[in-house]
Amino acid sequence: MKSVFLFVFILTGVVGFGQTAEEILKGVIDKIDLVEDYQADVQIKAAIPFIKVPIAKAKIYFKQDDKFKVESKGIAILPKQGMSDLTGFLSNEKKYSAVLGEAKTINEHKTRLISILPTDENSEIILAKVYISTSEELIYRTVLTTKSSGTVSIDYEYNLNKKFGLPNKMTFTVDIKKFKMPKSVASDIRNNEKEKKYKDNEKGTIVLIFSNYLVNKGISDEVFKKD
Amino acid sequence: MMLWKNTINELLKIATKIRSYIGIGALTLLILIVLFAMKADGKSYIGFVTASFEQTLSFNGKILNGNLIAFIIMQMLIVHVPLLISLVTGDLLSGEEASGTIRMLATKPISRSGIVLSKWIAATIYTLIMTVWLGFLSLFVAKWMFGTGDLIVLNSNGLLIIPEADLAWRFGLALIIAFLALWTVATLSLAFSAFAKNSVGPIVSTMSVIILFTIIGTLDVSVFDAIKPYMFTTHMAAWRSVFEDPYPTSAIWESVIILVAHIAVLLGITLIRFNKKDITS
Repeated sequence: MKSVFLFVFILTGVVGFGQTAEEILKGVIDKIDLVEDYQADVQIKAAIPFIKVPIAKAKIYFKQDDKFKVESKGIAILPKQGMSDLTGFLSNEKKYSAVLGEAKTINEHKTRLISILPTDENSEIILAKVYISTSEELIYRTVLTTKSSGTVSIDYEYNLNKKFGLPNKMTFTVDIKKFKMPKSVASDIRNNEKEKKYKDNEKGTIVLIFSNYLVNKGISDEVFKKD
Repeated sequence: MMLWKNTINELLKIATKIRSYIGIGALTLLILIVLFAMKADGKSYIGFVTASFEQTLSFNGKILNGNLIAFIIMQMLIVHVPLLISLVTGDLLSGEEASGTIRMLATKPISRSGIVLSKWIAATIYTLIMTVWLGFLSLFVAKWMFGTGDLIVLNSNGLLIIPEADLAWRFGLALIIAFLALWTVATLSLAFSAFAKNSVGPIVSTMSVIILFTIIGTLDVSVFDAIKPYMFTTHMAAWRSVFEDPYPTSAIWESVIILVAHIAVLLGITLIRFNKKDITS
């Protein structure tokens, strides 16, 4: 009987039952707050309808509170939402209310869904569904519904920088609206192919693979000044 | 040997005429205006290109660079450069007739075919100079002003981003194909020049043919579908195919063959016409 109680106690501890949404989020926010700044190399692989883009390499810089910069020699396509804005949003606990949801296993990680609703009526984020591993205090999936960018889903994978909550891989799935070609710009006269049939909205994926993280080494504000 | 000497003479004639510099001057001015406009307000142009995706995606890196400017310049000017070329090449035979020097030219120890060929070679060299100048201004000056970077191309299927390392050969090949298109126009105006007694006729006729064929080419009417692939104007924009992915090798070869065939046929017509011509002026 004693061992049964012990089992149930451990089980509830592992999957996070008993913890409130705020408590689960706090663990994640504490990890985020450990990071004052970071820089990392990132490889960007995009598979987006209507866009053919080669694999790009870039360097990203972040500094608390919300300074973020992408430095790329070539053209790099990134999602508009979900890079640094989510962590900034989560850090400000007064700006949202969190509701605990179902348990779900994502890539063999047991997570709890936390639905986050902003309290500010002008917030760009309408709803954020965050799947958090309560044992690791890491976000493994986020589904962001935004005013201007539609729905963005982000899957995270972690490796060396788990302790800071910094992923080594992020997979974004974004809504791409039907492409409207400005006729005055595009003049591929030779193109006699019948217009390809596309749905009104298609999904695109952008995979970011991070390497060479430098965390809390100090980054000058000059880095974030626009070119 | 006589052909070579006569070609040198023809090149000297072109070099001494003011109208030869109108084309180069106008081309330079047009490119400088485009460069100035892009320097002043190029970002709004970029916004226009990426607008369809801006809500969801952010484009990072140097989009407004010399390679994009070069592409825009080539796209804008390839329609107008033929007029500047025909301004000179349309005058080559008819100008001699108008000024009364054709009879003296015909008395030289060179065949009539030799006269036509030397003028055609001179026209070819002038066209080549114009193309090289277009390439120099659009590529080197634009790169000097805007730096270099990946090229973002907009076509009916969406956006294509070509890495910088993959661009030098594409621009080189695009300029060769653009030269072929302009060479066709030069040969066409030379052919008209063989029929005319003054230089206005060939220039206006060349532009009329280009406008007419371009309109037929853009009309979405099935009755013209059979002739569209054989009109040289359809293939004047073939240089743009070089910036597609996958690179359409067979389509580009088809364009090259059709343009070269046009040059051969038009040169043949010019030779026949000039050899049979009664020189009375």
